[in-house]
Amino acid sequence: MNQEHNMKKPVFTLKNIDLFYGDFQAIKNISMNINYNEVTAFIGPSGCGKSTFIRILNRMNDLIQTCKVSGEVLYEDKNVYDKNFDVIELRSKVGMVFQKPNPFPMSIYDNIAYGPRCQGIKDKVVLDGIVETALKKAALWDEVSDRLKKSAMSLSGGQQQRLCIARTIAMEPEVILMDEPTSALDPIATQKIEDLIIELKQDFTIVIVTHNMQQAARISDKTAFFLLGELIEMDDTNKIFNHPKHEKTEQYITGRFG
Amino acid sequence: MKNNRKLRDNVSKTLVYSLGSVGLIILGMIIFYVVSTGLNLVRWETIIGDSRTISTDVYLDEGVGSYILIETIDENIVYSEIWGIGLVDSTNKAGYPIVEIAYIHPESKLIQPFDRNVVDEEGNHPQVDLKVGTAIEKALFNNNTIIALAREQASGMIAKLNQATSITSMSVQIVGGGIRGSIIATLYTIVFTLILAIPIGVSTAIYFNEIATYSWFSRAIKNMVDMLTGVPSIVYGMLGAAIFVPLLNNTIQTQGGSILSGALTMVVILLPTIIKSTEEALKIIPNELRQGSLALGANQTQTIFKVVLPNATPGILTGVLLGIGRIMGESAALIFAVGAAISDRVILSERATTLAVHIWVIMGGDSPNFELAAAIAIIILSVVFVINLIIKIIAKRLQKNMNWS
Repeated sequence: MNQEHNMKKPVFTLKNIDLFYGDFQAIKNISMNINYNEVTAFIGPSGCGKSTFIRILNRMNDLIQTCKVSGEVLYEDKNVYDKNFDVIELRSKVGMVFQKPNPFPMSIYDNIAYGPRCQGIKDKVVLDGIVETALKKAALWDEVSDRLKKSAMSLSGGQQQRLCIARTIAMEPEVILMDEPTSALDPIATQKIEDLIIELKQDFTIVIVTHNMQQAARISDKTAFFLLGELIEMDDTNKIFNHPKHEKTEQYITGRFG
Repeated sequence: MKNNRKLRDNVSKTLVYSLGSVGLIILGMIIFYVVSTGLNLVRWETIIGDSRTISTDVYLDEGVGSYILIETIDENIVYSEIWGIGLVDSTNKAGYPIVEIAYIHPESKLIQPFDRNVVDEEGNHPQVDLKVGTAIEKALFNNNTIIALAREQASGMIAKLNQATSITSMSVQIVGGGIRGSIIATLYTIVFTLILAIPIGVSTAIYFNEIATYSWFSRAIKNMVDMLTGVPSIVYGMLGAAIFVPLLNNTIQTQGGSILSGALTMVVILLPTIIKSTEEALKIIPNELRQGSLALGANQTQTIFKVVLPNATPGILTGVLLGIGRIMGESAALIFAVGAAISDRVILSERATTLAVHIWVIMGGDSPNFELAAAIAIIILSVVFVINLIIKIIAKRLQKNMNWS
């Protein structure tokens, strides 16, 4: 590990993570650190466990009954899988954007206000402020400010995805997890999301799963390469793409398999 | 070879077409029969009228005069100038031929004859109001020397009335045959059933679809719910008679069946339907929405009530409307649980009939009343038809709204 890596403070520290779906081991003994205000990209071929792994960070895997996780997941020095750990609190601090845009079938305003309202914020003025800030941060305000009461389903795919990002930002999280956020979008919408991610790096820690190696190279500071449930290599992005240590990594980024 | 195939094709086609048209013809004939028999009676008086016929005897010792018509009346009305009353041949709300009062001269003494069957504290007979629409069954005039019967029709009665100087006794009937009581009882049953069945059914569906983990137990319960939809309703009626009727008799002192026990029985009958349709509605809600909500730090209750349920409402509504149709059409179970007493003053804790049971009641006995039964059937059919229409519209809306991303 290089010097810079050690200087930064980790927001997530994961030690010896194993994850099973029933009898199938999807994650094999992975340890890693995810640092504050960095963009960490997970790359790897389909089925390598990167989407499963990102869902450990906000315990979204809890929803799958057969899923068992062992190891230590420290978020700000607290073990996420502790019995007394408040998972609701974790998810309001660690937001998530999904592969397919999933706005709620309600108005744009209500979509953004949903999270804060669930936290008990009822004051209209406060909510108005939150909605406006979130939409501005997600670079969507100019496009929708005149139709906040319209259904979110009327937006285009790219707008819907930015709305989902705005919805996450409205919670003022520490970390934003993105699970292939651009895989369902066209190149122009993808470009906008990538610009947005670079913008958001100032305020948030971002973990992004992507199929697109160019995307990882463009936007991330750290890149982790997964293969068949194992973490092959994790390092600064330019090192991974220019001087990979591992033979498998080199083969993957040069397109020899995947 | 080729010809053989063509022949077989034609044979199967002919079979399908002919059997299909047989089905259509049968259905058409049933509907035609019901409509042609009952349409006559689908009228306002039948719908809002009392079912019970009130009979009494009235008398009038004097009152002969000369009541010349001051306005034109319908030409079917036979008018007696010396008594100032006009009669007409008609049918009652249940379709039987009667002679009814069609016009009373404003100065005629017959507006307020004396009621022979009632005696007040001072020993006098009180006056009763005769109204247009009152049926006259028979009348005795001049100290029982002249007898006029309804079967002599309006003209015959007026002829005898014109010879009379006093009305000794006239049997009048404020004619019943209306179905208002049964309509109200049906509405009560629907309202009380739904008040109980919707929260219970929807909660059960939410529990099994959103909360319960997949296990042999939840699977067994789900299968049981599926099975319960197929149980004949008379079995539930038995349950109502065996459990709910005694339960209410002992707790709130009802006498035998009541609308409440009927509603409780219907709750049990409807639960599987409502659970099933709610479950179907919950199943088509994409998991991404639940995940999206949970990922925003919402807890499970918030996710269910703010995201899942609002989107399941159309489906739940469909189940509820199906349930209303089921209540309207249910007879076997309600005969046990509500009773079969046609009632005009509908009280929740007393016996009554719903529309379907009303049909059962009037079709029983020696002289089944096909016309009224068909009229009620038309009312039930049209309500169910409207409900189905609403379901179709909702389902269409649902498909439009559920077009995620």
